[in-house]
Amino acid sequence: MNFRFSDKEEAFRKEVADFIAENMTDTIRSKWLGGLLDTEERQQFVTKMSERGWLSMGFPEEYGGTGESMPLAQYILNDELHKAQAPIVGKNLGVVVNTLLHHGSEKLKKEFIPRILKNEIQWALAYTEPDAGSDLAAMKMSAVLDGDEYVLNGQKRFITSAHFADYMWTGVRTDPDAPKHKGISLLIIDVPTPGMSLSPMNTVIGEQTNDVFFDNVRVPKDRLVGQENEGWRYITEALTYERFAMTSFAPTIRKFKRLVQWVKDTELDGRPLKDDPVVRRKIAKLAVIVEAGRMIDLRCVCEAVRPDYVPVNEAAMNKMWGGIAETVLTDEALDIMGPYGYLWHNGGHAPMDGDMVDDYLWAGHQRVAAAGVDISKNIIARRYLGLPAS
Amino acid sequence: MDMEFTEEQKALQNAARSFLATESPLSAAREMEANEEGFSRDLWAKMADLGWLGLPHSSDAGGSEMGNVELVILAKELGRQLCPSPYIPSVILAGLTIAGAGSDEQRARLLPQIINGELIIAFALQEENTYYDARSVRATATKEGDAYVLNGTKMFVESAAAADKVLVVARISSEPPDTAGLAMFLVDPNDVHVTLEPLDTMARDRQYQMKLDGVLVQPEDVIDTPASAWDTLEGVIERGVIALCGYMVGASQRIHDMATDFAKERVQFDRPIGSFQAIQHYLALSITEIIAADTTVFYAAWTLDEREPSREIVAKAKAFAGDTFRKATDLGAQIHGGIGYDESMDTTLFLRRGKQLQLSMGGSGFWEDIIAEELLDR
Repeated sequence: MNFRFSDKEEAFRKEVADFIAENMTDTIRSKWLGGLLDTEERQQFVTKMSERGWLSMGFPEEYGGTGESMPLAQYILNDELHKAQAPIVGKNLGVVVNTLLHHGSEKLKKEFIPRILKNEIQWALAYTEPDAGSDLAAMKMSAVLDGDEYVLNGQKRFITSAHFADYMWTGVRTDPDAPKHKGISLLIIDVPTPGMSLSPMNTVIGEQTNDVFFDNVRVPKDRLVGQENEGWRYITEALTYERFAMTSFAPTIRKFKRLVQWVKDTELDGRPLKDDPVVRRKIAKLAVIVEAGRMIDLRCVCEAVRPDYVPVNEAAMNKMWGGIAETVLTDEALDIMGPYGYLWHNGGHAPMDGDMVDDYLWAGHQRVAAAGVDISKNIIARRYLGLPAS
Repeated sequence: MDMEFTEEQKALQNAARSFLATESPLSAAREMEANEEGFSRDLWAKMADLGWLGLPHSSDAGGSEMGNVELVILAKELGRQLCPSPYIPSVILAGLTIAGAGSDEQRARLLPQIINGELIIAFALQEENTYYDARSVRATATKEGDAYVLNGTKMFVESAAAADKVLVVARISSEPPDTAGLAMFLVDPNDVHVTLEPLDTMARDRQYQMKLDGVLVQPEDVIDTPASAWDTLEGVIERGVIALCGYMVGASQRIHDMATDFAKERVQFDRPIGSFQAIQHYLALSITEIIAADTTVFYAAWTLDEREPSREIVAKAKAFAGDTFRKATDLGAQIHGGIGYDESMDTTLFLRRGKQLQLSMGGSGFWEDIIAEELLDR
């Protein structure tokens, strides 16, 4: 048992932190979840990382990877990026590259993996539909084979990167008669393709996501990932990578530290806020929840680097705790701020520039996105505890 | 970064688990609630034979010099069976105080006997209307010639009547909350100037109010000096607390296993109740808390082993493990439904210990105040 990162890992962490300090700007920094590569500047930031070989770490050399690498390198990279609210590389690498490596045809691997590792292309993940949210396997968008092409009709919802992505990683129904988990396939679609249209949706904190409509969109058959009708297996496996790669606990730790500093620096009714016994207990309780989250995160990391092991349960626990911790943290933080708690960005009176208001509103997103708190509990109950189907 | 046990650690875990499953099952924990001493002397002797009582002690004294991680591994197994014993007061709190602050003569005289199980020492720190905090000690030790005379009242002294000696924390000088002026004294619980009054506890263990009314302590039984007593106590208490945390985590895992097994078998509305999401979500959240507490406690133990600053992480571990254990025991009974509150069911053994151990050695609020000190006052 050893809770310390190795010297080599610490050196890499420092290298990443130095890179971020040097290259980060206010316009690259994301206010909410890290991640989106939606501007030229953010894409260039990631391209610079790819030039250092940080996107290709650990992937096979024949597809442009570095071959052997420190098992924790990807985690350390994403952890530092999350901490700094920088664009993250978890989605492209964690979901698309991993799935292609395990299940994709040689042609798809050769076509896409090297370009992803060089950050030449961006991806949107498209699974959710208006009537297929938590019940993701209920997706209905149809893909019917016509010669060498699939013809797609239907709608996808909450496709956050659709307005700037080059490709869409899409779940479609290829067998409408099979049980719902057995008739899904995974397709790579060019954006745009004739027949595809976008309609933006604005979330409560002002971040854009999208509805995407498909009207007889034609996709070549060789863009099928893996076997036809096996898509559900690939999607759930990749959701585990996503829960793990895209949901670092680092942002919660950063927000908590910022709150502690704010409490230390603030007076209320002429008294230092930090001397208020109620505030002190709240901070201590939050410290415990945050520490627990860090521990679950590290446990997940230790499991994830085991060869050929997909950390389904650990990732679900990580995701669940992240949602709970964000909710408690942001709610208590606004409580501690009292009447100032609901002041938002503009006007200059808001504590922490109103960021905690965004975080409070966005905590709900963490409880529902990519299998939220309740779906994670279902996974833990069924797969970890072996409880019977409901 | 690696959370795997070594082969030796796995061996310790396996040996302890199988030994305790036969020698100290839950039925034994129930029997001991009616035992005058609250624990089995026979089991204590066997634990000594297995080397457990020397686990944290140096090899010169006859111990095996294992670390706090190993201590937690053993404590978790004791917790799995709710095994009652004076392990924390005698082996850790008193034993490590003597090991760390005793004279060569005291170490040579006392430690081998603690390790072979012949000498049991209780630990008296807390007092009336105080927290589990050496800063609050008001009991006095007044010099009389070479000896000291002790006066004061101690509370929550576990196994005081069964013990051969009680290690009493008292003040030679200064006033609360001063950390200077403290020292430790070995007192005979059968001394005519000592009065023990049993306390009626929820867990039905043996705890006492201990009145010291002019107890004379000879120089050879004075442990540590005011110069270092506070540091000694702080370090020793952290290790005792971590052992208690391990015990609570092991016990949490056990009651959670019991509740999960019950939910798989118990049929209502023509289906196992474990198929209902209401039940599933309770159990899923609880096991996540338990696993997180487990990792936090091992992290704290590892931090102690690495001799890094440990106060904040120990405080977090105690607050979290205590809250987790309380919730797991409460849930364990609830999942069982009405029968979960039947006195003869094992669920009630856990229910009665969940809240008590959460409050023992400083409740969550006490340790939360320490977390706040570490985060806000530095």
